[in-house]
Amino acid sequence: MTKLASVAMAGALVMAAAACGGGEGGGTEGGGDGAARVGLAYDIGGRGDRSFNDAAYRGLEQVAEELDLEVQDLAAEADETDADKVARLQLMAEEGYNPIIAVGFAYSGAVAQVAAEYPDVQFAIVDDEANDLPNLTNLVFAEEQASFLAGAAAALATEEDHIGFVGGVENPLIQKFEAGYVAGAQHINPDIQIDIAYITQPPDFTGFTDPARGQAAAQGQYDAGADVVYHAAGASGNGVIDAAVANEQLVIGVDSDQYLTADPEEQPYILTSAVKLVDTAVFEFVQGAVNGTAEGGTVRFDLANEGVGYSRSNTELIGEYEEQLDELQQQIIDGEIEVPTEP
Amino acid sequence: MAVVSTDVTTPDTAPPVRRGPWRVLSLVLAGFVALSGVRFFTGEATLTASGTVSAALLLAVPIAMAALGGLWAERAGVINIGLEGMMIFGTWFGAAGAYFTGNPWVGLLTGILGGVFGGALHALATVTFGVDHIVSGVAINILALGSMRYLAISFFETEPGGGAATSPPLPGFPRITVPGLSELFVSIESRGWLIVSDLAGVLAGLTTQVSVVTVLAVLLISLSFYILWRTPFGLRLRSVGENPSAAESLGVKVYTFKYAALLVSGGLAGLGGVFLAMVASSAYQEGQTGGRGYIGLAAMIFGNWRPGGLAMGAGLFGYTDALQLRGTGTGVHALLLLVTLGLLLATVWQTVRGRYALAGVLLVAAVLVALWYINTDSLPRQFVTYTPHITTLLVLSLASQRLRPPAAVGVQWRRGQAT
Repeated sequence: MTKLASVAMAGALVMAAAACGGGEGGGTEGGGDGAARVGLAYDIGGRGDRSFNDAAYRGLEQVAEELDLEVQDLAAEADETDADKVARLQLMAEEGYNPIIAVGFAYSGAVAQVAAEYPDVQFAIVDDEANDLPNLTNLVFAEEQASFLAGAAAALATEEDHIGFVGGVENPLIQKFEAGYVAGAQHINPDIQIDIAYITQPPDFTGFTDPARGQAAAQGQYDAGADVVYHAAGASGNGVIDAAVANEQLVIGVDSDQYLTADPEEQPYILTSAVKLVDTAVFEFVQGAVNGTAEGGTVRFDLANEGVGYSRSNTELIGEYEEQLDELQQQIIDGEIEVPTEP
Repeated sequence: MAVVSTDVTTPDTAPPVRRGPWRVLSLVLAGFVALSGVRFFTGEATLTASGTVSAALLLAVPIAMAALGGLWAERAGVINIGLEGMMIFGTWFGAAGAYFTGNPWVGLLTGILGGVFGGALHALATVTFGVDHIVSGVAINILALGSMRYLAISFFETEPGGGAATSPPLPGFPRITVPGLSELFVSIESRGWLIVSDLAGVLAGLTTQVSVVTVLAVLLISLSFYILWRTPFGLRLRSVGENPSAAESLGVKVYTFKYAALLVSGGLAGLGGVFLAMVASSAYQEGQTGGRGYIGLAAMIFGNWRPGGLAMGAGLFGYTDALQLRGTGTGVHALLLLVTLGLLLATVWQTVRGRYALAGVLLVAAVLVALWYINTDSLPRQFVTYTPHITTLLVLSLASQRLRPPAAVGVQWRRGQAT
């Protein structure tokens, strides 16, 4: 009897967990009878990271409003496996979502598998170009170019000739940010001191969701004498911003324009952000898919097509450097400056 | 674990002689002096800087609270793998309480209650229904992750600055800086004197910008020791974890004590969660517990199921984590010198005790680490990241040969089974 009860209890708990664990995002009804339904699957961190995933969400919102399509977003769990990602994409394909966008390099394997299983559905993946399938568009960004400008801005703004970088997880993607940042800072001042910290090493991806450790890493760099810190750490970056505000030092945001999402008391410390127009990429892809012009292969967003850049929202701080930064931007576009992608 | 001994057995080995607090204290002091020496000779000020100590404190408190939660549960005989889930309950409910009322103290209360809810679930499953402790704990972890995502979507997603995985920014707790002392310590710290400045650095870290929740956490560790080891209630609670049948035969209400222990356990883990969301950072973030519940369990084992020991375990983990996070592999590199020193001391100790083979192995290890130190300037980041885990493993394997868990921990004990 006891055994039975215990099994039932464990079963009930797990079932309850499974029922809750679906993690459905807010579905936005967009009208559009019989028209395309757009699905979007987030990376870990999910919506509300005020950075990467939120940028994707803005693209989706734009799709719902301007193209009047029904959209659905599904969030990922922390610690989930590849099988979970495959299941999420399959679910959307089965439900008739087309096109489907996977946000984040973590979906690389999953999207390749599901895209092969559903050749009639148009897929896109953000931040990955490992796969080559006719119905899969790789949306990639020249993060190193935006990071170069962030590094230049940091080197111009620092008074101590000492700046910092906090990366979420030390993988090739985040190393692109580091490489560009270091190159940009050294372009302005070859002798500048740059502290580099990563929160975790792959395959431990908690570095993107651990603001407490992001705060500790940034605090260490401010204590060591850095007065500008750039983060590429997803939701952990909120901890980096906390540290900047606590020390009344400058911080550079990433992916989204973090000046716009910050509290008013935080804004004076946000020098600029290395933005990556994931929203534009998502919107343009959906537009193409609906019109039937989307193709397989890789679409690259860089400074030249304004897919990446630096934000100018904090006019008080960034205003005086804009001229120099725009000049550097033009030099990168013209190919006069080659930005490295590896540190 | 399923084997239940019904008769009252005598332990195979006599319980270890209780080592006085002085011995532990002198060990800690010796370690500190060694650390100070390493700092002095390598010039790595970061080893004992006040900033490192502050960061260590922030990183150690959530682990210590999880460990303390584990202590309460296991002292009453219940393994609590569900600490991670209870911390997750704490982060979400703490964030919700604080955000919707605008008062951090309400968040503290709701966060603790969230953890208590997790503890109650675990108690219901393991005590009332006799579910395997590990199964129930794992189920609670899964349940917490999924259900908090569900609640975050329902409550936070529509709020400005919130999302399916994030709460809006939360109000913070007051921080305490001891006036006078803090400045004094900081000024002594900057002199770079051997030992004196190191001590000042540590004290400056402990007296500058310390959150009231940190103070509360330290008080709770002492209070737990007092309750568990100095009151009749604590004696009964521990007897339930050592030999529930004997306790029952003496009239102790075993189920009641297990329930009480698990509710406290969950509450403490919940407090750890609140700390993570509102002191160490400023918002609820899904996945922000990052396995700290499990690390807490490890810290508890490290501390030999005692409050002082688990505080040391959590402190060591927090310190090494702070050291590696605050960048510069050189700080961790300097620790290699400390490891060499420790290994040499262990060599001498084992030689004195006549264990020559072991002493030889330790000596070889010491030489290897020393060579490593001399031939490098810093350590690769890939390695440095795991400093806390490696340190904990090293210390556990070198020093803690005499761990003794509560005798009846993990046993599925039923009322009246002894008769």
